[in-house]
Amino acid sequence: MALLTLSFILLVTLGLGLLLQWLPARGSLKPTYPQRAPFLGGGSPDTHAWNRYHIRYYPMTLLLIAFEMEMMFMYPWAVVFIEKGTMAVMEMGMFLAILSVGIVYAWREGVFRWQ
Amino acid sequence: MAVSWQRRLAARAPAAVFLVEGARIGPVRETLALSPGIRLVDTPRHASVLVVAGDVPTGWRDDLRRIHDQLPAPFVSVWCCCESFEALCNPIRNDAVEALPQGVVETHRELMLGKRDSAPRLLPDEPPNSWEGLGDDGHGGEGMMGGTPYGRPMAMNMQDDLRDGLTLDTLTFRLGPFHSALPPGLQAEVSLQGDLVQTWTVTRKPFASVVEPIFHAARQEPVPIVEIELARARHHLRRLYRGLWIAGWPRLAERTLRMAGQLSPNSDIAGLRYTLERGGLWRLALPEPGRGALDEAQARQLGGPAARAAGIDDDLRSQDAHYRRLGFAPTCREAGDTAARWQQWLDEIEQSLVLAGQAARHDLKTAEADAVETPRGPWADAFPHDMSDLLGEVLPGLEWSEALLTLASLDVAALDLHPLGETRLPGPGHAGQKGHA
Repeated sequence: MALLTLSFILLVTLGLGLLLQWLPARGSLKPTYPQRAPFLGGGSPDTHAWNRYHIRYYPMTLLLIAFEMEMMFMYPWAVVFIEKGTMAVMEMGMFLAILSVGIVYAWREGVFRWQ
Repeated sequence: MAVSWQRRLAARAPAAVFLVEGARIGPVRETLALSPGIRLVDTPRHASVLVVAGDVPTGWRDDLRRIHDQLPAPFVSVWCCCESFEALCNPIRNDAVEALPQGVVETHRELMLGKRDSAPRLLPDEPPNSWEGLGDDGHGGEGMMGGTPYGRPMAMNMQDDLRDGLTLDTLTFRLGPFHSALPPGLQAEVSLQGDLVQTWTVTRKPFASVVEPIFHAARQEPVPIVEIELARARHHLRRLYRGLWIAGWPRLAERTLRMAGQLSPNSDIAGLRYTLERGGLWRLALPEPGRGALDEAQARQLGGPAARAAGIDDDLRSQDAHYRRLGFAPTCREAGDTAARWQQWLDEIEQSLVLAGQAARHDLKTAEADAVETPRGPWADAFPHDMSDLLGEVLPGLEWSEALLTLASLDVAALDLHPLGETRLPGPGHAGQKGHA
């Protein structure tokens, strides 16, 4: 019964989605080929726009790794640090200090500057 | 035919206008931008009215046809001081620039209410080249690349990267001559790697730049300094408007334009400068210091505000006795980069307003009549000629946004030596190709 209900909900959702997609497009003309060409102010392209493009995200990657490594270590640490006491706090402090150097370096490289 | 409520709503909305600027038309973009009921858009896809203003050379009609057919239906085209396409039955002509905004609004209203038919398509509804794709994705080659789907090769002709050595596919295209981010008439063949400009080759020079009639009159007889300085400030404010529009600051651009229309000797741009500085234009939008810089030879060739932004204190007003009486000295900056040229506009607008205020009190006219410093540069025995080839040296190596803002800061078109309204004999080329030093 549950499977039937789920299937019904899925079908209704799918139907509604298709209806919402179809309603605005109903009766509108399909764009012509000249309309589908890229707008270049009257100019024309030599090649397809499908090209390999690198977004050059190195600084962002660096920052992601810095924070991710921090969190990876902090979850298990959070479980045991009461048991381990001051020693665990000191170890975590050293670890965060090393990672902070990476974050400061990323900051210097302009990773926090929106471009 | 009953008019649906949707049509009535659409008729009440501002007319979305894509403007194609031809030669010798003056500040029609600025006129439309300030007109109520009109919204200028940057691509034909967002427009329902195509306005073609100014003369478009015959050989450029294919480019115009491409734009005409990129507007979504229903749409109309309005022609101002330009011959329409023969294929258009009953083209809408409106040769009076002052009456153009009202005409556009009315035409848009009639179109939306169904009282006017949509313009016909001029190009056949077929692919620009035949389909030649092969393989799983239709690209025609192995893996991701190769093949010539729709007759165009994939972008894989690599050039050495200018930035950090990461070589990517080079995307080559021709931009213009009717792109709103470029000077009217300019067409360039551009190669990009990612967002970095690799090469910039000018294939069509921009139309000659038109200045206000007072600068032409100043070559004939002494003219009131107050009028010529207000005209100069207005010219720079309009250039600033275009730059701000390209930078994506439409409200500030509109404010700048309104200020240009209301200039008087008592005007002050301190508020505008404060807003630009506090709003973060120099910090967020403009390229970093040193980007888009001209060397001394390039700045000297370009002349005018661009030269003064590079520390060259050439200004024909220094030779005018009445300007000297007002204590005039050229205002200069040192860096010569893109940000310096934007700052130079503000400095020169401020200086012109101060000079206009002083000249109004003394009722002074210019003393020299055979040489005039136009907003584009000095006009004496020689005049500012086309310098668009300079872009091929300045723009490569810049990111796309930096390149557009650098382009906005450079007035590279030749100076049109004939005031608007004066009839000119047709020449072998268009106006932008006639300038010579």
